[in-house]
Amino acid sequence: MSDFYVTIIHRPEMVPEYIQKEAEQGKKEDLTRSEVLRESLNIFRTQQQAAHDNGLRTTIQMTYASLFNEEATAIAKDHHEKYGDEIGSTFLGLQCQEFREKFKSKELAIWLFPIDAKRRIVDEVFGKFYEVFGFHPTSTGSYYMDAELVNYIKERYPMVKVAVATCWEEGPKAYWNANNSWYTLMDGGPWNPWIPSKRNIHCPASDKEDDIGIVAIPHLSRDLLAVFDGPGSYYGTHPQNILRGMVYEDRESPYFKNIVDQYRSMAKYNRGYSYNMMFVGPGWMSKKGRWEADYDFLLKSYSDGMAYYGQLKKEGKAIDVTMSEFADIYRRDRPYTRPECTLWKDILYGSNRQQFWYVDPWMRFCLDMNQGGAMIDLRPYAAKLIRPCGVGTKAMQDASYPFLVQSLYRAGFFTHYAGEGAVKSCKLSCEGEEVDLCTCRTTASFSEDGDTRVVTLDPVTIEFSERSIQMQSIFRLAEGTGEVKIVRRIIDTTDPQAEIAIDEYITACYGTTEYPEDLTGVQLSLKGTDKSEAIDYAYQCREAAVERVRLAEVLVPQVDTRLTMRTDTDDAAGYFREGFAFSPMYTIGIKRKVKGKGELRTWLKIEKAS
Amino acid sequence: MAQGRKGRLNYRCPRCLMREIDMDMLYDKDKDEYYCLRCSFTGSEQEVLRLNAQFREKYRDRMKRITDF
Repeated sequence: MSDFYVTIIHRPEMVPEYIQKEAEQGKKEDLTRSEVLRESLNIFRTQQQAAHDNGLRTTIQMTYASLFNEEATAIAKDHHEKYGDEIGSTFLGLQCQEFREKFKSKELAIWLFPIDAKRRIVDEVFGKFYEVFGFHPTSTGSYYMDAELVNYIKERYPMVKVAVATCWEEGPKAYWNANNSWYTLMDGGPWNPWIPSKRNIHCPASDKEDDIGIVAIPHLSRDLLAVFDGPGSYYGTHPQNILRGMVYEDRESPYFKNIVDQYRSMAKYNRGYSYNMMFVGPGWMSKKGRWEADYDFLLKSYSDGMAYYGQLKKEGKAIDVTMSEFADIYRRDRPYTRPECTLWKDILYGSNRQQFWYVDPWMRFCLDMNQGGAMIDLRPYAAKLIRPCGVGTKAMQDASYPFLVQSLYRAGFFTHYAGEGAVKSCKLSCEGEEVDLCTCRTTASFSEDGDTRVVTLDPVTIEFSERSIQMQSIFRLAEGTGEVKIVRRIIDTTDPQAEIAIDEYITACYGTTEYPEDLTGVQLSLKGTDKSEAIDYAYQCREAAVERVRLAEVLVPQVDTRLTMRTDTDDAAGYFREGFAFSPMYTIGIKRKVKGKGELRTWLKIEKAS
Repeated sequence: MAQGRKGRLNYRCPRCLMREIDMDMLYDKDKDEYYCLRCSFTGSEQEVLRLNAQFREKYRDRMKRITDF
């Protein structure tokens, strides 16, 4: 039995950014321009009708501007009564004449205001909402809401139970895509709903004490492969995003249904539960057309998307819920330690590539089967970094959760001539030859062993000049441990006498963007049965190795993280490698030599350092 | 030279699009061509459409309905 929940969210945004920009071509800004207000409201009505015609209920997220519009509030009340739609509130669409007069600011992003202004805006928006509707909303949202903002909302308005809290992997990629003018720098969160930590919105809460008190929903359900290496605003359950990405031919795009179906399939990785959300602002359905698509095509894509959800509902394959209903359902069966995982497959480029995504309160990571199961993204959630954003904070616009490994921002396996890139992988060597599993494409399968999730990679053949071996990788993720067990097993060889070295390593750094950060202060250490080694990072290319290693460790104070590798064998050596300024990375590894068949088992652990 | 204005459907620059930068072009009605403020692309509507079709080619599965997950 599996349950696929869908939330459809609409917002009457009276001055949508795209429509306003079009209307003001050659004119001065005017937030009260009547044609913009009228068109926006008409689009909202059209979206609502598309949902209702397909038997779907919605969550109407009232913008601040719409609270001053009698027609918009009347529609919301009417649809709540007639169709059972939820009336919630959003911090998108703040800008209107009333907001300008009250807050004297053109800022459009709630998360970028100073904290005192954030609080005043929350009180104003929720106060106005209460004045109009006679109750406080239980759902809210924005493109991003930092923990400090949500903590304040919960303190003042404890009835709030759910929020659209991030956009998945909208970071530097979204910024480049928008000609470096769209400041949604918020990489590093979960792709599906989660209960956030009080300390950082990106991190799932560890326990009740850490629970921020809401269920968070990412803005849109996105293509986990395409968006990791492409703009978030091209590939997701947002039909006009798909048009923006030009994923269509002759006005048809099966891609939307493919994304929905792949999300439905996530039930098999997540104890029978899967989820989708669709949230298209009216600005995306401008009468003038957008993204090379005329209005008819914009409307068709939206109607087609809604029709598919409606069809799934009629077939008993989808359950439409409002945001608040979903929050209650989600909390009913969600132990804090339960991970969210997905073995995502390419549905766009025809490559058969798979990536395994994993989130729990300790970490988020991604394994790329195109690179032999290499870890290409690693976020240390265990650190639960307190990292407020907005004016007056150190992070300012950079709301991303830091990574230790991000192979696209920091090179990964392939570098240009010199140095190393951030990746976790394994090397096999024999008589002077060395092969990295990053060069061995494969596929994987998922299974469960009690509370342990298991990713088993299909064996790959590694060819040395005189012999070849069959190598298999298995990742075991025991719930509630914060550890990844990695088994590298030689299952066959053409030369049983040959000695093969299995070298499990991680090359990492830290940061939120593609640009390097200062690694001074990072500590590398090895603890062996007989000997220990340690250095403070100083870009001096130092290396050390210890036989009979028990622990290889990196302490990264900048992100309050301790990263360790251990093994259960007493015949392995550990090593670390310091980088240099042209290769600002650190590496720790554990190496074991085996004759013929054999294996190396290691555990990667992420902990809060302080 | 004519004043550049937004053209029909706000065409993005196809060359910038190739590197996933959404950059709206301006239209020069005297020359009947679009031009990019960023990368120096100039071209007719037909040329823009040709390059857009080329952009879509990277999506080999764009018309494939996939149901096996």
